[in-house]
Amino acid sequence: MNMHKDNMTNTKNINLIDDNVISDPVMEEQIARGISDLLNNRAQHLKPEQEQHLSAARNAAVNYLAEQQAQYSTGAGHGYVLRWFGHHVGQNFEQHRVASTGLLLVVMLLTFFAVQHFGFNNNLENSDAYLLASDLPPEAYADKGFDAWIESN
Amino acid sequence: MDRIQLGLRWAVVLFFFLVADVVNANGANLTWGQLTESQRQVLNPLASEWDTLRPWQREKMLDIARDYPKMSSDKQELVKKRLTNWSRMTPYERENARKRHQQFQALPEDKKRELRQKWHEYQNLSESERAKLRAESPDAYGDSGLE
Repeated sequence: MNMHKDNMTNTKNINLIDDNVISDPVMEEQIARGISDLLNNRAQHLKPEQEQHLSAARNAAVNYLAEQQAQYSTGAGHGYVLRWFGHHVGQNFEQHRVASTGLLLVVMLLTFFAVQHFGFNNNLENSDAYLLASDLPPEAYADKGFDAWIESN
Repeated sequence: MDRIQLGLRWAVVLFFFLVADVVNANGANLTWGQLTESQRQVLNPLASEWDTLRPWQREKMLDIARDYPKMSSDKQELVKKRLTNWSRMTPYERENARKRHQQFQALPEDKKRELRQKWHEYQNLSESERAKLRAESPDAYGDSGLE
């Protein structure tokens, strides 16, 4: 009977909690203990059928978590490549998979066109073609005698 | 969603192939017969010696063919006329010519005119005089020549 009264009190207390109270660390701990006690007390009076449901749900949750961790550690998880840039990036990729895929494709296309148009030897004004079409023929630039002649004049 | 992931993987692989293809599409190993019609037209003065050129020489010549259509017809004529001599210069001479060309481009217009005039005068010297001037010049190219 006393236990039932305690439970009722705890329930009332929890219902009265507001955000200001939760922000106090001491109160927060007390509340957590209250919740824990309440759960423990209630757990004593569970029906076998309810226990079975809870056990199955727990197993399912644990299995799901284990599966997620195994995928992450073997790299089979989605967004694994992006996790090279940090776990957070990988998680974001998970959450916005389609948008991230599109973004990645756009970046790849832009890189492709940039490589095509601004290739390593594509500096037009400095290309050999423009040297050949210059005011002076290429021999003038390479002729040591011309240099010497300019110096002497 | 797995389909998207699979598609993304293929896209990444394809992308790297495309980029590698663009970066390596230098045609350094192409024979004369493998060149396109437009490349052959531009590089026609080199037709007989193309297959004897070193890969890096071919690469540079193909760069010229690539830039050729972007030039005016006057400049295109000059390129065709000077291409043979250019291909016969040593890599060292060509590298120095590139360096000097850049210096020349940076000069003011009156200096450029003066140098064009001087080149014309130099051309009028006898071959023996020019050979003597070359022999007297140091081997290494300095930075002050066209300045």
